[in-house]
Amino acid sequence: MTAVIEARNLSRWYGNVLGISEVTLDIEPGITALLGPNGAGKSTFMKIVTGQLKPNIGQVRIFGQKVWNNREIFWRLGFCPEVDSFYEGLNGLEFLTGLLGLYGFSAPEIQSRAWRALELVELKEVARRPIKSYSRGMRQRIKIAQALAHDPEVLVLDEPLSGLDPLSKRRIIKLIKELRNAGKTIVVSSHVLPEVEAMTSEIVLIHQGKILARGDLHFIRELLDQHPHMIRIKSPHYRELARQLATEDYILNITFEPENSAVTFETHQRDRFFDRLNQLVLESDCRIEEITSPDDNLQAVFDYLVGK
Amino acid sequence: MKNEIIRVFSFYFYQARKTSRTKTFFWLSTAAILMALVIRAYKIAGNWTESGQVIFQNFLMTFFLQFLIVLMALFFGTAIVGEELDNRTMPYLTSRPLARPAIILGKFLAYFCLSGLMLLLSVLISYLILNLDSEFSLSSLGTVLSYYLVLLLGLAAYLSFFNFLGVWLKKPVLVGLAFGFGWESIIQYFPGTTQKLSIVHYLKSLLPRYTTSSGKLGFLFIRLEPTKPWLAILVLFVVVAVFLLLSCVLFSYKEYLYED
Repeated sequence: MTAVIEARNLSRWYGNVLGISEVTLDIEPGITALLGPNGAGKSTFMKIVTGQLKPNIGQVRIFGQKVWNNREIFWRLGFCPEVDSFYEGLNGLEFLTGLLGLYGFSAPEIQSRAWRALELVELKEVARRPIKSYSRGMRQRIKIAQALAHDPEVLVLDEPLSGLDPLSKRRIIKLIKELRNAGKTIVVSSHVLPEVEAMTSEIVLIHQGKILARGDLHFIRELLDQHPHMIRIKSPHYRELARQLATEDYILNITFEPENSAVTFETHQRDRFFDRLNQLVLESDCRIEEITSPDDNLQAVFDYLVGK
Repeated sequence: MKNEIIRVFSFYFYQARKTSRTKTFFWLSTAAILMALVIRAYKIAGNWTESGQVIFQNFLMTFFLQFLIVLMALFFGTAIVGEELDNRTMPYLTSRPLARPAIILGKFLAYFCLSGLMLLLSVLISYLILNLDSEFSLSSLGTVLSYYLVLLLGLAAYLSFFNFLGVWLKKPVLVGLAFGFGWESIIQYFPGTTQKLSIVHYLKSLLPRYTTSSGKLGFLFIRLEPTKPWLAILVLFVVVAVFLLLSCVLFSYKEYLYED
């Protein structure tokens, strides 16, 4: 698949403070999540991608074109900034129609696009209420609405779930997934791992301005062959399974949960472990109720990569 | 780019009407009407003997020319970029398909028109309050119109200068205050060509009957060595054009950072 966003050796400093360093990244259609703690460089990357900042070194291209001051790209790009700020005195509808007016749409089209965007973010009922009276979740949704009202192909959403209640989060995650299904290229940032996990498995881990890892969550997990995988097996024969596997040299640790009839293995050779497990199940007729990987989530990958 | 300027103008002319800045300046400009009412009451009571024209001219020089348009231009001009940074709304603008100079020019025009309208209301009503008597004729409106046009020219010149300060500096208001109420006030008392380094010099050169002012504040004119009207107009237009151009060029290349 062709990359929509191409970043090459991007570096950006704020005086002596490093924003991002030598970031090279191709982003394809679908949802890509930038994941990292506060100050990792996610917002800097997004500001460069959306033409708010210029890199000190390197370049970024969207659809093969430079971004800074490129009006053609801004037609195809929607940006939802992280900051919770709006124009004074406007209601939701005025906010959207005002910004849509900057594209030069006709008056009827401005209205229809604004209402369509309000519908998408489920804010039609409060469209004429001042934004200052909106809840945090509503404000976040109206910000997303302004980013997508002109129907861009690329959406850059900086911390779209920040500070939202669970219901609002669910609504926005659903919306982002719908936009992905509509063929958009969406870049989201977050420092909350389960939120990212709920949206996509395509992640870019950023820490201290550098990309630590990039790819599908499970692919990244596979890369970490030195990092122990935890595999939890729930079975009435969990003791027998543990006894059989304990002799294998790739098993690092075994933890029992008698109350749940479960056992958790730690291994750094997951493939060999599963081969042996299959063999045991076939040979000894062990019944297995559930196999899970407790640490096969973003938190575990992230913690490991940043050396926690 | 013309269409982009119009789009920016439309949005901000609408949006700015709702801001507290506009409301504040609306009430401040109506203060002139209140003052005119008070003066008229004094005049009716026989405590003020000068003609309405002379009173208004003094009023024009002190309140409108040296206070209101400078203050309006300072707060609207520096807000063209400053408010986007203070309110953190800059990304909404700079991620739209707009040439950066169109943002500056569109907002400049929006704020110029908005403050110009407030000024018109204030100038016209206060003039009528002070001059609407048996000697009033419709031709007097031509006089007030000429005053108003000079004020507009001054507003444009100050607005473009303060806009430039807003594009250039992080904290432009203090520098603007020092310029508008320090430099501009002091320099006009200097003899010779030094006073020509101020905007107010050219505005005063354009005001009708400035040399014959005999009002209580007539001392303000004592040292004025006027520039020819056509040259004064030219200089003011050049000031507007140069500072707008500089603002557009600077804004096109400059990045604006705010602490996250």
